[in-house]
Amino acid sequence: MTLLSVNGVTKRYGGLTAVDDVSFDIMASELVGLIGPNGSGKTTLLNILSGLATADAGEILLDDTPCHGLTPEQLAHRGVMRMFQLTRVFRRMNVIDNLLVAGRALGLDHGEALTRAHALISELRLDAVAALDAGQLSGGQMKLLEFGVCFMVPPRIALLDEPFAAVHPTMKEIMGAFIRARHAKGQTFILVSHDMPVVVELCPRAICMNAGAVVIDAPTREVLNDARVIEAYLGGHAA
Amino acid sequence: MTQASPAPAAGAQLTTTKTTVEFRAALVAMAIVALIPLGVSNPYWLGVLIVSMYFAILAGGWNLLAGYAGQFSLAPATFAMIGAYTTGLLGTYYNVPPLLGIAAAIVVSGLVGLVLGRAVLRLVGPYLALTTLSFAEIMRLVASNTIDITRGDLGLGVAGLPIGRLAWYYLFLAVLVVLLILFYLLLRSKAGLFLQAIRDDEVAARRAGVDVVFWKTAAFTLSAAASGLAGALYAHFAELVTPELGLIAQTGLILSMAVIGGMGTLAGPLVAAFLVYVLSEWLRDVGGYQLVVFAALVVIFARFFREGLWGLAKAAVRRWRQA
Repeated sequence: MTLLSVNGVTKRYGGLTAVDDVSFDIMASELVGLIGPNGSGKTTLLNILSGLATADAGEILLDDTPCHGLTPEQLAHRGVMRMFQLTRVFRRMNVIDNLLVAGRALGLDHGEALTRAHALISELRLDAVAALDAGQLSGGQMKLLEFGVCFMVPPRIALLDEPFAAVHPTMKEIMGAFIRARHAKGQTFILVSHDMPVVVELCPRAICMNAGAVVIDAPTREVLNDARVIEAYLGGHAA
Repeated sequence: MTQASPAPAAGAQLTTTKTTVEFRAALVAMAIVALIPLGVSNPYWLGVLIVSMYFAILAGGWNLLAGYAGQFSLAPATFAMIGAYTTGLLGTYYNVPPLLGIAAAIVVSGLVGLVLGRAVLRLVGPYLALTTLSFAEIMRLVASNTIDITRGDLGLGVAGLPIGRLAWYYLFLAVLVVLLILFYLLLRSKAGLFLQAIRDDEVAARRAGVDVVFWKTAAFTLSAAASGLAGALYAHFAELVTPELGLIAQTGLILSMAVIGGMGTLAGPLVAAFLVYVLSEWLRDVGGYQLVVFAALVVIFARFFREGLWGLAKAAVRRWRQA
């Protein structure tokens, strides 16, 4: 079953085409890696998918219903959850309240939200810091908290932008385990990452972008061995 | 003291719990205010306390918008002025009775707040502050220059109420307590979470599914309506409305009350309104120095004590319990 369908999405900033006629389908319960060198349009594509930017052309279908042009809050209610590369948490609210915000906003009552918050806190091993304001957490703990916020109500699809970047190895392991466990239960993901070993390990399928366009969309092993992908990373056609 | 923490997150105080503690403290403070007339019968000081309550409502309303929702508006005094002129003009030109006039003042100032809130929806930080400041000055200049209607700086006479000073005292107190309860119920609900989430990170709040447009507009509207109510009550108490109600210096006083008391706390700004206003009356004899003192206090509190007097009191209680 196709969960998310991206058809001919294009985004231009002045003379720069950041996303160039991108099309792909994501099936339910897939975990797809989205890779590509810096500036290849991965984050812009995620911005479009999560409603923070609007495409100049093309359409996006979620569960066979158009969802382009919706705001981030509308998309959150439709089940699109975005994790940012630069961690975004509510810095002056404590860990539990951070989770409660997402739970209550997505329609849970207080009791249910509290139960889920506590479950996520122990799953993400944030017990020791649950009483602290999010601003006092380490970078890795903030990332874990952001994971929790995104999964208070399990989304239809989770868009993860570089979750492993600049994070302590222990935290990385907790995150990896979290993603694996959720994926095993049927959670759908798009994972943007520069960390190739992680992409190989987690994602059966990968999409590689370069200069805004999809270079190849295939099983991950195949993608990493593709000459065009290697060229894109090494800058074969640069200058 | 034992080191082990019993249940996970046992030390974590939810926003709802925090709000309840602050609410109880505020109720205790209001109970003390209710007892003051037993010892103080001097009409001058009763008047000072009544004006303190006027400011407490304004500081509480501004705190909802700026302290909780993070929308640093510089127009709270303007909404008081709008409320005061609403009931004043309705009474003067249409013989509307004071109670109806006050109700109209709540609606009109709330609506103006709604429109302003929608207009500044995308502005943050200094841009929001400067835009609301311009709005405030424009409204004040309109009031003082529409001489044919408002009598300008001469002021507009407003009907009083057939009640004595003591009754006024308890009327203001009752309104203050009702607003306190309303704010408490609002902030204890999910709205409290959403407003603070918007304050901390608007994009993250939208990502989490919070309807940012709705809650920001709601905060502007409620805050403006509360200020309008305060202004309308004050108009009937003073039996006069002038554009001076909307002076930026008035907003400065409201700001300093909220900052010194503790922005984003329910009890702080209310209590600080009394302290700051009574202090400003005492310092009146010294001349114009009061504003210098408050400005210095605001800078010190904003820089070093972000939770204001409430935060200091909380820390003191914690230390005392641990000792």
